[in-house]
Amino acid sequence: MNIFARLKHWREQGAISQEQYAYLAGLCRGEPSSLFLELNVLLYAGVLAFVAGLGWTVTTWSQQLGDLLVLAVLSIILAACFWYCFSRAPAWSLAQTPAPTAVFDYVLYLGSLVWCVELAYLENRFHVLSGQWDYYLLATAVFFFFLAYRFDNRFVLSLALSSLAGWFGLTISRWPDHQDATYRQYAILYSLLVGISGALLKWRGTKAHFFGTYLNVAANVLFWALLSGVFNRYGYGVWFVALLLACGASLAWGLTRRQFVFVAYAAVYGYIGFSAIVVRNMRGETAILAYFVFTAVGMLVALVQIARHFGRRA
Amino acid sequence: MRAYPAASEETLRARKLLADWAGEGFVTKEQFERLQQETISDLRTTNIFLRLVLFFFTLVGVGAAVGLFYEIFLSGASGQTDGIFLLIFAVVCYAGAEVVVARARLYRYGIEEALAVCSIAFSYVGIVVFFGESRSTVDLVLPVVGVALSLWIWHRFGLWYTFPATMIFAALLPSHWTTSHAAVRVAVALLYGLGLAGVIAARARHRFDYVEDDYSLAEALLWLGIYLALNLQLWSLQMLGHWWGGNGRAASDFARPFYWTTWALIWVLPAVVLVRGVREKDRFIMAVGGIVSVLTLVSNKPYLGWPRQTWDPMLLGILLAAVALLLRRWLAQGAGGVRGGFTAARLSGKDRQWMNASSAVFGLVTPQSITPSPQTRTEDFRFGGGASGGGGAGGDF
Repeated sequence: MNIFARLKHWREQGAISQEQYAYLAGLCRGEPSSLFLELNVLLYAGVLAFVAGLGWTVTTWSQQLGDLLVLAVLSIILAACFWYCFSRAPAWSLAQTPAPTAVFDYVLYLGSLVWCVELAYLENRFHVLSGQWDYYLLATAVFFFFLAYRFDNRFVLSLALSSLAGWFGLTISRWPDHQDATYRQYAILYSLLVGISGALLKWRGTKAHFFGTYLNVAANVLFWALLSGVFNRYGYGVWFVALLLACGASLAWGLTRRQFVFVAYAAVYGYIGFSAIVVRNMRGETAILAYFVFTAVGMLVALVQIARHFGRRA
Repeated sequence: MRAYPAASEETLRARKLLADWAGEGFVTKEQFERLQQETISDLRTTNIFLRLVLFFFTLVGVGAAVGLFYEIFLSGASGQTDGIFLLIFAVVCYAGAEVVVARARLYRYGIEEALAVCSIAFSYVGIVVFFGESRSTVDLVLPVVGVALSLWIWHRFGLWYTFPATMIFAALLPSHWTTSHAAVRVAVALLYGLGLAGVIAARARHRFDYVEDDYSLAEALLWLGIYLALNLQLWSLQMLGHWWGGNGRAASDFARPFYWTTWALIWVLPAVVLVRGVREKDRFIMAVGGIVSVLTLVSNKPYLGWPRQTWDPMLLGILLAAVALLLRRWLAQGAGGVRGGFTAARLSGKDRQWMNASSAVFGLVTPQSITPSPQTRTEDFRFGGGASGGGGAGGDF
C-alpha cells in the first residue's frame, strides 16, 4: 500500500478529514514543494562568500585603498547590519523567538563576521590593544553572546562559543612551558564553564533551546582534553579515570534524555581511550588484533542492546 | 531484487511522513497516535547516532578479524593467496549483510551497511593483490567488478553512498581504453549519460513511491558527475594548484575545439539541470543545479584565462543573496505564498532540524576559515600570518 492508498484508507476510516487528505496527498506529490531550505542555504552561502571576498579584498588592497576608506566601508556595512537588526527585532523574551524577517538571521550573521574583519584590521594596522588578541577575543565573545541572546540566533551563539574558545587558547599560547598540559587544563575549564553556564541558563529558562549547543560543545572539548591526557606517556591514570567518569555521565545523560549523540560520544571516545591504555601494554600484532576483534564485538552487542531497548522497531 | 519487502519499506516511509506531519501540526496528536499503530513495519531501524557508531564498530571488528586471520594463517603467503582470501572475505561480508537483513530485519542499522561496504573494499583490495603483477588486468577487472558490486549493493540494500562508489569505479574504466585525456572525459560523461538515461527510465516507474528518493539522488549525482567530467578547470588537482592564478593552463592541455566545447557545455548544463529539477520538483536535482551553476561562475575566469579578482567572492555572495531574496519575493506574491507549485514556507520538520544542526556546526567552523586571523605584532603593512582565532579572529592582513 503506497502513501496515497494509505491516505485514502485513513480518510475512509474517518481518521483524517477530507481537507487533511487533500493537503497531505498534495504534499506527497510536491504540491506545493518547499524551497525553505534551499533559500536559507543560498543566503548563508551568499553571506559567507561576501565576507570571504571582503576579507580578501581588505587584505590585498588595504595599502592602496587607505585605512580611512577601508574602515569607512566596513563601518558602514556594520552599522547598516546592526541598524537593521535592532530596528526590526521584536521585544526580548526569555523564550525562543522567531526571526522577524526571513533575512534577519543572515543580516545579523553578516554584521557579526564584518565586526570580526574590522576589529582584526584595526588591531593589525593600529595595534589598538598592543597585540593583546586575547582581550579582543574575550570582548568579541561577550559581544556575540549579547547578540545571540538578544536576537535568539544560533549562528552567533556558535561564533560566541568559538571566540571564547579562542580566548582560552590564545591566552595560554603565550605561556612558554608545558603547553600541552596547560592547554588541556584550560580546555577542561572551558568545557566546564560552557556546560555549567548552559545548564544555569536553561535552569533559569533563558533561551533554554540553546542548551543543546552548549552541551555538545562542552562534551566534545572535554572528551578531546581527557583523551589527550590518556595519550600521555606518563601520568595518564588520572585522565583515564576522568575519561571513564565523563563517558559514564555522557551515557547516562544520553539514555535518560534519549539524546543518543551522547551515547555515541561515550562509546567512541571511551573506546579510543580504553584501547589506548590496553594496546600500549600489549606485545605482538596478534594480541592487538584479537583485542580489537573481541572488543568491537563486545561494543556491538552492547550497542545493539541499547538500540533495541531505546531505539525503535518501526 | 530488493533485500526488503516493498510493503515494509512503504510502511516505514508512511511512518516517517506521519511523524513529520505530526511535528508540523498537519495531523493532531490524537490522530498521530492512532495512525501510528497502522504503520508498524517489521524492519528494525535505529537513530542516526547509534547507526554511525554501529557502522564504526562493525568496520573495526571486521577489519581486525581479517587482519588476525592473515596474521595467524597467512603470514608469508603469496600475493595470489592473499588476494583469493580477501575475495573470500568479501563474499563472507556480503553474505553476512544478507543474513542480518534476512534474520534480524536490520534496516539502515549500521551493521549490515558496514558489512556491505567491507565486501566492496575487500573485493577492491583482493583484485589488486591477486592481479598485482598484471597492471593491465587490474585496470580492466577492478572497475568492472567495482561497478557491478557497488551498483548491486545500492540496488539491493538501498545504500545511497554506494552509488557514488559506482560512479568512481565507472570513471576508472575509460582510462583502460585510451590515453587521451579528452577522450577519457568524453567517455566518462557518456557512461554517466547512459546511467542517467537508465535512472530516468527506471524512475518513471516509481513515481511518488518509497524508491523514488533513491533514484532522485542517483540522478542528481549523475548530473553532477557529467558536469565534473566536462569542466576542465575542476578536474585535476594539478590544475587546481594553478587555479587561482588564472593562467589558463587547461587550455594548452586540450585541443581548442574540445576546450571551448566544454566551456559552452558548463554554461548549458546548469540550466538543463535546474530546469529538470524544477519540472520534477526534485530537491536533489535542484541542489545539484545550484551547485553546478556556482561552479560555472567560479571556473569561468580560469576557463577564459582571465585573472581572478579579490572581490569576485563578494560579487558571488551578492548574487546568491539577491537570487534568494528575489525568489522569496516572487513566491510570496502567489496566492497563499505558493507560486508555480513552490513555496518559501517550511513544510517539513526535517528542514528545521537541518537548519538547527547546521547553524550550530557552521557557526563554529566558518569564522576560522573565512575571516582574518590574528598575528603577532609586526611593523609590516600587509596582514599575514596567524592561524588561530575564535569568532573570526584569525589573521591575514
